[in-house]
Amino acid sequence: MLARTSRRLAGLLATLLAASFVIFAAVYAAPGDPAVFLAGGRDKLTPEKLELVRAQYHLDEPLVVQYGRWLGDCLQFDLGRSFKYSDQVADLLTARFPTTLALVAYATVLFVVLGVGAGVLAAVRRGTWIDSAVVGGTTLAASVPSFVSAIALVALFGVQLGWFPVTGSGEGFTGTLHHLTLPALALALGALALISRVTRQAMADAGAADHVEVARASGIPEREIVLRHVLRNALGPIVTMCGLVMAGMLAGTVVVETAFGISGIGSLLVGAINTHDFPVAQAVLLLMVTGYIVVTTLVDLVHPLLDPRVKEAAA
Amino acid sequence: MTHTTSRRTALAAGLVAATLAAAAGCSGATRNTAGSGSATDAGARELTPVTAPAKGELAGADWLLEDEPDSLDLDTQGSSAGRVVLTNVCERLYQLQPDMSTKPFLAEKAETPDDKTLVLTLRDGVTFHDGTPMTADDVLWSLERHADPDMEQGDEFGNVAAMKKTGDRRITITFKAPDAMFFKALAGDAGIVWNKEQVEKAGKDFGTPGQPDACTGPYALGGWKSGDSITIERYDAYWGEKPLTKKVTFRWATDSALVNALTTGAADGAYAESPNTASALDGKKGIEQHYGPSTASLVLIPTERGGLKDPKVRRALSLALDRKGIAASGYGGMVQPWGTPVGSGAWGYEKPVFEAAQKDIAYAPAGPTADDLAAAEELVKDAGADAATPIVIGTDASQGRTVVANAVRAALQRIGLKGQIKTVPTAQFEQFYSDPEIRGEIDVLVGDWYISKADPMGFYDNALSDSSNNWVGFKDEAYDAKVKQALGTLDDAARAKLAVEVQKTFTDAAVWISVAQVPSVLVLNEKLTGPPASMAYLYYPWAAELGAKKG
Repeated sequence: MLARTSRRLAGLLATLLAASFVIFAAVYAAPGDPAVFLAGGRDKLTPEKLELVRAQYHLDEPLVVQYGRWLGDCLQFDLGRSFKYSDQVADLLTARFPTTLALVAYATVLFVVLGVGAGVLAAVRRGTWIDSAVVGGTTLAASVPSFVSAIALVALFGVQLGWFPVTGSGEGFTGTLHHLTLPALALALGALALISRVTRQAMADAGAADHVEVARASGIPEREIVLRHVLRNALGPIVTMCGLVMAGMLAGTVVVETAFGISGIGSLLVGAINTHDFPVAQAVLLLMVTGYIVVTTLVDLVHPLLDPRVKEAAA
Repeated sequence: MTHTTSRRTALAAGLVAATLAAAAGCSGATRNTAGSGSATDAGARELTPVTAPAKGELAGADWLLEDEPDSLDLDTQGSSAGRVVLTNVCERLYQLQPDMSTKPFLAEKAETPDDKTLVLTLRDGVTFHDGTPMTADDVLWSLERHADPDMEQGDEFGNVAAMKKTGDRRITITFKAPDAMFFKALAGDAGIVWNKEQVEKAGKDFGTPGQPDACTGPYALGGWKSGDSITIERYDAYWGEKPLTKKVTFRWATDSALVNALTTGAADGAYAESPNTASALDGKKGIEQHYGPSTASLVLIPTERGGLKDPKVRRALSLALDRKGIAASGYGGMVQPWGTPVGSGAWGYEKPVFEAAQKDIAYAPAGPTADDLAAAEELVKDAGADAATPIVIGTDASQGRTVVANAVRAALQRIGLKGQIKTVPTAQFEQFYSDPEIRGEIDVLVGDWYISKADPMGFYDNALSDSSNNWVGFKDEAYDAKVKQALGTLDDAARAKLAVEVQKTFTDAAVWISVAQVPSVLVLNEKLTGPPASMAYLYYPWAAELGAKKG
């Protein structure tokens, strides 16, 4: 057990290290010149001034040296200072991460409740009009890109009806809930089809098992069969899928944050990449990678608890 | 400077613009221009530097910026978002007025015993927000900080020989050569007075969220929640007049989010940085828009590649360009056809002289007449221009620039030349301004430009033979000499006369081809009034004038 955990941990660190270098190289290779954004104004873009700026931010050093400098600081828990904002990167992240986390959590609750609910409904009423309506409706929702649904939601519920605020992330619990409802909905809509399909299919597979037939024959009420035998056995793939979708969302809030004027890590990342703010882009992307790894690892750990068969195989 | 006179000048400016448009439009030759359909007729839009004075108190106002400020230390990061906030918190030795003139401010008196000496006498009774009085030591320390070559304003101090404290409330600055621009710079970020003790205490963190400000203005920084909002609060011990609005909360949003927030009343006002935002808000209920003069302009900048090396060809292109069409279809009528590279907001002194000169600008019709086109074709023939090699037009994919690029291509076609558009991603676009190698791929850039000083001479040094912004290699010894002479002429009337001559050389040679001037736009809840509409909002405590229309 201990050996397995340490192997896992080592793998995690190796993944992060590799990811950090790839990210650094990618931001470095992106088109555009960071010095231009740091020089401050077009009338200041003289060759001498640009030279000065490059030296000041160590931009004139080779990629590997710059990366080494960043890694050294990082190992001392210093993520550096943002080029664009003179602030500590760590401070920028702590200020914005909760907003993005709240948004993703809210969206996750929405797509799990609605998606799994719709999937169960479609599975139970298989072949009826309800089934077709669920499949059709969720497919339609999934085919609309999130920036389109974001703009449509704002236009209707924000600007026209005035039920929800159009920008910002709100104060306090109810304020945050009120502000984040539309963005979370826009984020969750795309995931509905996937989750409801997976749920429907997993339920169908579990429903075809022999012990379900036996249970039906012995006269156990249908409700109980669905809950105790079918849904329980179908949980494995459903939870895995929900976990993967949620992990993906951590990196996918960019569009929605921009449409709703929310300052989360998504909009921070876009700004950082556009202005070549290495330290910030690096930290945000690593945070996203870490989030993804953590969520998928958790799913891996939970899976055996849900499905005894997996546990036996692992042992 | 009373309210009525500034109204009158603005009216005159509006009239001038209108006459210009009328003069350009009465040729009788029908042309295929983009109809100005729903777009307001740009020529008739009146630019007014101020809004009506406010009468009523406000407990608080919500203001929108187009971006979160990078930093509130304008010496290290001078973004306009930071300036819009900080100009209500910090004060400068000189102050830019809403009508774009400048006057001594924290320095209550400024004397020039000779052309190379400036003696500033500091105002008494001014306190920083921590309650300590402003001293000559603070002022000198601030000037030295601005002058550091690593800082944003370092190049403004190029002509300074020495800065010394010569009395309890006196600073004397001596110059290697007379520098008329230095006085304008003192009304900008080079004139901010910091509280030495506060700045040193904060160290590297000065200007970041969670730090107090170090200034003397009518508002003190209440707080900056990174990624959420910035608040400023009325400073009760302020030495000057008390503002009507107690507290201003700044948030930020872009494009549609900004437009939605203003439309729904979630925000009370904003200074719209892009003309396209302004046109999206045009005519919305509950919102008023005020247009003021600014120094910003849309320009075509010829490059090293040399397709527009010949001034005759540049002049021809300028003659054939449909500026009215660009204003209507690219910018919803929010910009005005213009013949000089700086907007009318740069006329911070001797306004009538610059206004009169603007009327005489040649080769820049709002819409080309049949005569203009004939003259342009003649010029191309004279130059013996190469009609086979395409002239490459550099742009990004934004709406306005795309329209300009296409208009340039159409104009080139009209005069028998070939145009080819090269579009780059926005992140790369700025490199056209900085990197000669990348500029080597295009003949002309669809650019824009503004100057931070209200003085046309703050621009014309860009065409000096040795300027890094003179891409096309314009070389004229008489021009160089006159620019240097004007920059060293402290007398406004004499400098204006020289500036007009310099401007004529520049526009006759079409070193840059001007397209339009971009007004400054104040978007305001219809119940509120007070702040200036001109570009002065970047350097003047506009929030101190904000209040309710009804007392």
